[in-house]
Amino acid sequence: MNPKNCWHPLGLSHSIEAGSSAGTRLLDRELVVWRDNSGVAHVWEDRCPHRGMKLSFGFVRGDHIACLYHGWQYNSGGHCQYIPAHPALDVPKTIKVPVYPAHERNGMVWTALSENPPSVPDDDEPVVPLRSLYLGCGVEAAAAALNACRLVPFGSQTPADTTVSRLSDTLFALSCAQDRLLVGIQAISNTRTALHLSIVGSAERYNGAGQSHLNGWALQWRQALETRAANARLDQDVA
Amino acid sequence: MTSGIVLYNYELDDSCYRVRLALSLLGLEWQAVAVDVFPGKEHLSPPLLAMNPSGRLPILRDGDLVLHGTEAILAHLARSHDPSGEWLPAQGIEFAEVMQWLIFSANDLGVTIAARQHSLFGTPGDETSLRAASARAVRIMDDHMTARGFTQLEWFAAGHPTIADIALFPAFALSRDFGIDHDEYPALRRWARRFRALPGFKTMPGIPDYH
Repeated sequence: MNPKNCWHPLGLSHSIEAGSSAGTRLLDRELVVWRDNSGVAHVWEDRCPHRGMKLSFGFVRGDHIACLYHGWQYNSGGHCQYIPAHPALDVPKTIKVPVYPAHERNGMVWTALSENPPSVPDDDEPVVPLRSLYLGCGVEAAAAALNACRLVPFGSQTPADTTVSRLSDTLFALSCAQDRLLVGIQAISNTRTALHLSIVGSAERYNGAGQSHLNGWALQWRQALETRAANARLDQDVA
Repeated sequence: MTSGIVLYNYELDDSCYRVRLALSLLGLEWQAVAVDVFPGKEHLSPPLLAMNPSGRLPILRDGDLVLHGTEAILAHLARSHDPSGEWLPAQGIEFAEVMQWLIFSANDLGVTIAARQHSLFGTPGDETSLRAASARAVRIMDDHMTARGFTQLEWFAAGHPTIADIALFPAFALSRDFGIDHDEYPALRRWARRFRALPGFKTMPGIPDYH
């Protein structure tokens, strides 16, 4: 995977409410994902140019995000618009936060690291949000674990044959019986990976019981991965 | 005998903050007695030990009652001073679930208190293991609220906020004090946002006031 040539998921869309912000990391870069009051998502470097404070610690007002330290306010283009300590100042255009592209597809917020990112994937299936999983391994190990997974389809109690397909460098699909999950892979660092899970299908079918069932499967799968990793560490210690 | 509610309080103590939150959310009148925990160790002085031999804050005086133990104080305030009965539901599943999360707070979140004291005041402890155990406890809370979200339940133990939410909020809201960021806990971020919007919500040092 060339990280410059793909889109990266940073979280489920529904986990960033309008008027809120959240910090995250992508390949060790600190990013802030925030949604303005009109509902548009933004991805920026998570750093106020003034004193380096994380903007994700700040707060959203209208279409501005404000830094917690000194209240410097930035518009959706990343330009500083207002400095409370100098209310009459026409803020220089050079005070700007680096802004990354932000798109929402398949129930996830995506960004790209290149200045000329590839075109946005145009498939956008109707989805129901499931959850994010945070794993203590790199993306390749997470991808290998996904390739081996067996879903327990909604309405069943037993794992069943699951077709795992890699739709792009950072998006997997798991198909099992009637169910299809989309899994976005976020490379937080070399040793940490987030998986963002959406259920393909209608709210009528999956809201409530369907989400709870597949959440239960996801937690058991995470548990199994963590147990295996802990046992491997134990074996290593013995050896 | 004293009339009214008196809290023996240390402003930077997250357990005292739990009680201050409850007093404020319940809209009660109260007085604070400032205790110099750091660096004065006044909580270990004879008058304070006479009220709580365990040597911990908070301590609440309410008329003739002298009470220690954060969760016991929260339960007392809700039972005796909340006519709506909502902050501590009287019976049934809601009562049981409030108790479950109060006891989680008293047991499992103890490590977050230790982690924070280690970070802020240099009390003894192994930072790596304190952080790992704290992250496990916070993840249990996030997993719970993720599951609740699928059935449109926005609070830990009932369809409305209870003293369980009050007991649990500070560990998450202050987690950056001990090196645990909010990045990986989306359900708790949403819950904390709702909690901050409750009438009577108050911050403490380490929890920002948005202005």
